Amino acid sequence: MNRMDQIVAYRCKKCGRIHYPCHDRCLDCKGRDFDRLVAEGDAKLLTYTQIFNLPWGFEVRFLIIGIVEFENKVKAMGQIHAASLEGIHAGMLLKPAWQPVRQVAGEAVYGLVLYP
Amino acid sequence: MTVDMELEAVLRAPELEMPPYPPKVITLANSKKMVVRPIKREDVPTLLKVVRPTLDIPRDYYDIVGARLYAELLGWYRYRVRNEYCLIGQVDGFVVGMVNGRMWDQNIGISLHTLAIDRGLHVGAHLFASKMEYHIEHLGQQEVWITAESPIGFRRWMIEYGLIKQEGVQHELGGATSYKLTRDLYFETKPRLVAGVRPVPQELLDQAMQSILIASEAEVTEKICGVKGR
Amino acid sequence: MRDVAVIGVGIIPFGRRDEDSLLDMLAYSSLKALDDAGLGEKGVDALYVANMGAGILQHQTAIASALADRLSLLPCSADTVENGPASGASAIKNGVLAIASGYYDTVLVAGGEKMREVVGWKATDFVATLTHPQVEYPYGITLPGMAGMLARLYMEKYGLTEEQLIAVSLKNQRMGSLNPYSHVEMMITKEGIHDHRDAIVNNPMAADPLHLYDMCPVSDGAAAVMLCALEKASQFTSNVPVVVAGFGQATDTHTLQERDDPTELKAVTLAAQQAFARAGLTPQDVDVAELHDAFTILEIVESERVGFFKTGEGGKAAERGETALGGKIPINMSGGLKARGHPVGATGVAQVVDIVFQLRHALPEGRQVKNAKVGFTLNFGGFGNNIVSFVLRRAE
Repeated sequence: MNRMDQIVAYRCKKCGRIHYPCHDRCLDCKGRDFDRLVAEGDAKLLTYTQIFNLPWGFEVRFLIIGIVEFENKVKAMGQIHAASLEGIHAGMLLKPAWQPVRQVAGEAVYGLVLYP
Repeated sequence: MTVDMELEAVLRAPELEMPPYPPKVITLANSKKMVVRPIKREDVPTLLKVVRPTLDIPRDYYDIVGARLYAELLGWYRYRVRNEYCLIGQVDGFVVGMVNGRMWDQNIGISLHTLAIDRGLHVGAHLFASKMEYHIEHLGQQEVWITAESPIGFRRWMIEYGLIKQEGVQHELGGATSYKLTRDLYFETKPRLVAGVRPVPQELLDQAMQSILIASEAEVTEKICGVKGR
Repeated sequence: MRDVAVIGVGIIPFGRRDEDSLLDMLAYSSLKALDDAGLGEKGVDALYVANMGAGILQHQTAIASALADRLSLLPCSADTVENGPASGASAIKNGVLAIASGYYDTVLVAGGEKMREVVGWKATDFVATLTHPQVEYPYGITLPGMAGMLARLYMEKYGLTEEQLIAVSLKNQRMGSLNPYSHVEMMITKEGIHDHRDAIVNNPMAADPLHLYDMCPVSDGAAAVMLCALEKASQFTSNVPVVVAGFGQATDTHTLQERDDPTELKAVTLAAQQAFARAGLTPQDVDVAELHDAFTILEIVESERVGFFKTGEGGKAAERGETALGGKIPINMSGGLKARGHPVGATGVAQVVDIVFQLRHALPEGRQVKNAKVGFTLNFGGFGNNIVSFVLRRAE
């Protein structure tokens, strides 16, 4: 099973709500105690877009970005590695990886990359 | 001006055969019909009237593009630039934009400048695409060398077409980084970037060919800088 | 609590204003509002200035202090209010509270932004700084991208069509062409942006499934309103006062991924409900509305969430012309953000200015909603995570 050690979510000890990123109080019950929860498993695509007119710092024509839900219910945004939207659809399973997503001042910034 | 033809025979460079660009019509976002067609050398003085006001418009580097385009067109008119052409976009007979380029040799085309007078309607993008179409499909060239003098141009050409950076190759427009469009790249991008239909309906073509209408200098400035002077 | 009225408004043409600084624009619109309110040489008790990005874009901070000085409003209190693209409405809300509480009698609120000073992709990056800095921004997500994801979810859930989005785009661009303060004055046609084969170049995909003409432009601009205790309005002007009958504000999760159903836009619903409850009115009482159509999808979803249409019906209503002039509820008769433009700090103020024009019955035929008595505004901050709305009514 895929395990994304870099994506650490927080499950409220009181009500079980999963948070990613972290919050100081639970969004549902205001609880302050959380268990760490590493994102695991394949990632189910919930929604996505292909963005043109990118912000400063990206010298590519477009990015495909989506929001996924891992098998253990952690939800996260990531870049989808694909040449086009052909074959991409909500509900499909994607393989997650932790890879460079952009360059800042010549340094690679790592993040969630999703493979169809 | 009297021309010494004996001297001209020495100074004028021999030109390559260039089949003319076949006119086409593009439907713009406001449904207006833009006829894209080549001009003849003798049309240059008329066209220069629409370029002249841009020399005083620093916005979006219109002054640089305008000054260089002016010189290139004049150079073509006076037989000092080799293998040059100019395509114009006309709406209701009026010039709304223009592009020019030339053949470096049989295989390599040089993209020179793109000037949009009417803005916000993708006129520049349409005309640039027409220029690429001319080099690849009608002049039969293998590649077109391109550079950008404005951020808009960089975004539109280098990013939109995914042009190939030519490390160490200088473009003749002052040595800025050169990019190239290959035949493969052109045909890959053509479906989303090259618009227009042929033949142009006779009535539209007649209107465009009848005369090149030019807006006044004030109107040109207004079109480029915005209708409220902003 | 006292009733608060808008007694003066000022707005300058939005667009690209290379020749004006941010302070110039704020000053021009403020002077118009002061004059409209008949303030003459009097001062104001307080000044609130809405601005999102001068610190980033102009390398200038403390804008309110600078404007108070420039307008010779010293020694009034002065605060800059930053709430992303909802800064404008937030600043007005603060002004309303200050007067309603009895602490101040007169408050000037100005909102402005100068976004065209930088190239487009730097402006896009600037606006994207409101996304989550660790789990969203690094991926290159933009606000149009957020709207694209929302639109896709909404299409799947409610069957929204491209034609419905286009109906919003055409309506707002047509209204913008009639508004002298509008950034975009160009008419477009369905043929040119959709039906004709050349539309693929004219109206390229921007953030799938949204196209270029689903997006608002990046603009410079400023607008201002003069607020006053209703009981004192007649001391300044004979303008028909427009009463701030109610406001609402609500927040939602910072990230889109943490919302159970991102299409719900909960904060929009809550902000509208609060505003209507405070005003003692309902969505059915509204004659004209200015909604935050930074993207066409937003106008449609907002029109449902604030209560003008049932869920899933907003797109169909737009296509049927129910949001056009003469329709059930005319929306964005200014052209909206789509055409008037979206200088982020100015937008919330400009929306109120446009509703005041409507409620004064001051607009020409073609834009004026006949006999409009109640207006509504919705200013959308973040990507739906901080919403401010107003219900305004004409004082009879």
